[in-house]
Amino acid sequence: MAAVRRRAADVACLAVALVVAFPLYWMVLSALRPAGEIQAADPRPWTLAPTVDSFRRVLTAQDFGRYFLNSLLVAVVVVALSLVASFLAAVALTRLRFRGRTVLLVMLLVAQMVPVEALTIPLFFLVRFYGDVVPAVGLNQLGSLVVVHLAFSLPFAIWMLRGFTAAVPAELEEAAALDGASRFRFTWQVLFPLVAPGLVAASVVSFVHAWNDFLFAKTFLISGTETRTLPLGLLVFFKPEEQDWGAIMAGATLMTIPVLVFFVAVQRHLVSGLGGSVKG
Amino acid sequence: MRFRRAVAAAVLGSLAGAALGCAPPQANSGDQGQRSDQTTGELRVWLFQEASNEPKEAVVEEAVAEFEAAHEGVTVNVEYLPVDGRASRFNGAFNDPESAPDVAEFGNTDLAGYTASNGFADLTDDLERWPDGADLVPEVLDTARVDGRTYGVPWFTGTRALYYRTDVFTELGLKPPTTLAELTETARAIRAARSDLYGISVGGKYLFALLPFIWAHGGDIAERNGETWSATIDSPAARTGFARYTELIAPDICPPQQCAQLTGSQSVAAFAGGKAAMTIGGDFNRAAVTEGAVGDRFAVVPLPGTAPGEIAPAFAGGNLLGVFASTDRRTLAWEFVRLLGGKEYQRALYDAMGTMPTFTDVQDAVAGADPFLRPFIETVQAGTRFVPATPAWTRIDAQAVLPTAVQQVATGSQDVDTATSAAAAEMDAAFAG
Amino acid sequence: MALPPVTPAAPADRTRSARQGPHRDDGRAALLYLAPAAVVLLALMAYPIYQLVVISLHDYGQAQASGAAPLVFLGLENYRTLLGDPQFWDVLAATVVFAAVCVVATMLVGTALAVLASRAGPVPRTLLFLAALGAWATPTMAGSYVWLFLFDQDFGLVNEVLSSLGLPLSGHSWTFERLSAFGLVAAEIVWCSFPFVMVTVYAGITAIPREVVEAAALDGASAVRTATSVVLPILRPLLAIATIQSIIWDFKVFTQIYVMTGGGGVAGQNLVLNVFAYQKAFAGEQYGLGAAIGVVMTVLLLAVTGLYVRAQRWRP
Repeated sequence: MAAVRRRAADVACLAVALVVAFPLYWMVLSALRPAGEIQAADPRPWTLAPTVDSFRRVLTAQDFGRYFLNSLLVAVVVVALSLVASFLAAVALTRLRFRGRTVLLVMLLVAQMVPVEALTIPLFFLVRFYGDVVPAVGLNQLGSLVVVHLAFSLPFAIWMLRGFTAAVPAELEEAAALDGASRFRFTWQVLFPLVAPGLVAASVVSFVHAWNDFLFAKTFLISGTETRTLPLGLLVFFKPEEQDWGAIMAGATLMTIPVLVFFVAVQRHLVSGLGGSVKG
Repeated sequence: MRFRRAVAAAVLGSLAGAALGCAPPQANSGDQGQRSDQTTGELRVWLFQEASNEPKEAVVEEAVAEFEAAHEGVTVNVEYLPVDGRASRFNGAFNDPESAPDVAEFGNTDLAGYTASNGFADLTDDLERWPDGADLVPEVLDTARVDGRTYGVPWFTGTRALYYRTDVFTELGLKPPTTLAELTETARAIRAARSDLYGISVGGKYLFALLPFIWAHGGDIAERNGETWSATIDSPAARTGFARYTELIAPDICPPQQCAQLTGSQSVAAFAGGKAAMTIGGDFNRAAVTEGAVGDRFAVVPLPGTAPGEIAPAFAGGNLLGVFASTDRRTLAWEFVRLLGGKEYQRALYDAMGTMPTFTDVQDAVAGADPFLRPFIETVQAGTRFVPATPAWTRIDAQAVLPTAVQQVATGSQDVDTATSAAAAEMDAAFAG
Repeated sequence: MALPPVTPAAPADRTRSARQGPHRDDGRAALLYLAPAAVVLLALMAYPIYQLVVISLHDYGQAQASGAAPLVFLGLENYRTLLGDPQFWDVLAATVVFAAVCVVATMLVGTALAVLASRAGPVPRTLLFLAALGAWATPTMAGSYVWLFLFDQDFGLVNEVLSSLGLPLSGHSWTFERLSAFGLVAAEIVWCSFPFVMVTVYAGITAIPREVVEAAALDGASAVRTATSVVLPILRPLLAIATIQSIIWDFKVFTQIYVMTGGGGVAGQNLVLNVFAYQKAFAGEQYGLGAAIGVVMTVLLLAVTGLYVRAQRWRP
């Protein structure tokens, strides 16, 4: 009986996996199809004449490598900075008592609620202003994207890490203190490794946000092509009007692959990460 | 309770801050009078990125080489922008003069908005001193004017006319329509005989196909009274034209399910893909059609008016070359505009991309060499019209006021009178600021 | 505290005991720990949000931003315009219903699949997780276009397959009817957001000690009773967080609607608040009105979340 049920669960799992993965498969397949098959709306889920024509159109029309590296650089720096800052903030919010904690938590929630589009104008002038002081974070610089994405990824990351830092037993901290460890040492040498899964989960979300953005990219990167990011470069191909679905799917594939690689690389930690907050 | 108190504190705090009266951010644009006029250095140019950009780049490179050879110590840096993201780039450049280029290509419908931001330099006097300027087609030059001042040189213009399938017309024994009423009948007859085709492919979002219908019936979408504008889309004449257009988006011509959401390029794409017997397309759509399933089995005539022999006034679309108001190289920038926008390079651009020139004599020269262009030049020379030259147009366009009205009528959710009255009210609200 | 505790009841007690422990300078330490995040958030979030409120009180467009036109203080005029616009209320109602459907569907699908995954063997489970991570990793824009392409009236696989099965769907437009268009977008949203819920809940389930469930079973509790009175309470804090995040994300949906319905559907029938704000205000460069919409949306979201949090607390 149990075995039958287990078998049924296996089959259902596989069926759902197929359905969920199908749009992605179709995306890659369409990107590899010759134009004629797409025009004919060929429903066969394979192609006999795979071609990289669509990819070539996307890759050669653009300084693709540079845009790719720009996007990667922004995303990686955002992830690194956001991990450190959100971890420290989460520690303060869960393991230390001070006045105004609830207000801060509500503010973090509010910060996620404001529609991003509405903030672009104030942010534009702010970035312009900061650029006069620190040129590296000014308009037309990748630094501007880093600081803005950092600000937008922190509220969620702090909210999420809060669960993990709270779950570490206080006794551990007391024991460390008795051993003569400073709070600083405890935080970095004991707490930080303990909440690693949470850090992975938070970093995934930060990475995706920074990688996908093109609203800020098109607002702050006004002149010059050397700082363009990938979504901005691919925007040219996302034109459903021209019905060039091959190129659209190739662009979508190129945009998805790096995130996919990142996800698969961290997936084992992710599963223990997101729900890890109930352990303890 | 602490949740609520925290929220209250946060809201109160921000309201108090706002009430203290810190003003919203503004760029400082008061220093334009003291801009320097350097004669060397880097001249930065923004041009639009075309679907296939190489032919355009080749022409521009040639012009740049000529310009750099004639001006020692000057380099020209050209950047191609995607048309889609243009608003944020141009607004960014107006808000931050440091990021702004010296010369830019822009669409003539965007001009009024850009001028309201003091974005472009007044070129009226420069144009008067330029002998070739007198040969520019007056109606096309009008699209570069706001309040009597000229802010750009028309670089090329785009006009729409009626494309039709010669094979289908021969098969069914039809002739190209000579009036708009006949156009409807012809389109209906085609779909009745060939249910696999749209009689004509036009769309709910194809504003520049709608406008000639309104103009041909003697109406307009808005009129100017001195300093202000008021909507006239709800006038009887405009409503007649509007109804003529929307009756095309019906199951017996172009079914709403397929056509209500079509834009201009999608309408043309449907024709190019062999799904329609007619469409309204521009001279700039030629390549899209010949490279599609239709090939060369098509011909073009001017879109007819209400009586035989009349041509419906077309929308004078096109792009301008302008000089940014914040430039530090005003003289150089104008000289570059004059070169790239001049007769020689307009002709070169036509040879490379098939764009229609804006000088009368150059137009005549290319029309003689290229019969395809004749119906379009006939249309231009019969008189073109334009959208309201006010910054409010940007808003009306962005809010999709007219496409929404067309779609409401085409889907049967509103009648022509209700939809046009609502559109007029929204337009008037935009004109009022 | 009223916010959903992440670890049931624990953090307050633990931090209190920490306070009585060796470290007594919490205020100063907290300041130090909060400093990096606080600097960034104050510099790049607090000030723009404050500016947003200020802008919403002015007639502020592109001409004002570039300094070409003088500023006019309007007070609450933008809010009056917005709240007096009947279309705003239609769009608001549509947004609330649409977001609610998306949140509920995402939570149900995510939770159901997490339970399924916990019952399945390691290989099918890993495959399901990989597929889900793929959907999650797909950039919003890419995902929207892929779904749009699958359902395209001429070149889409769905019409092709369905009409070859004899259904009269050749050339059928999935975005023409209002509900059909909303349904299509909702399906895409569930597709790309259920993985977050699934992974969270799955991790929560695996973290429940086996003995707890077994003890309940030994006590004679049915499977349903075990699920509702043993497993669910343990998972509730997690579900609460996932729900709040889903509410925030789905209420603010933009890209999917914008891409898949071509900017809000036929005659604006598929507008949701964020797309409405873009079309009504930002694309037309009425930033003052746009800021007012932003403020109203934030307040609404805050109210919805507040209600949800209170409803959570009232449960036994």
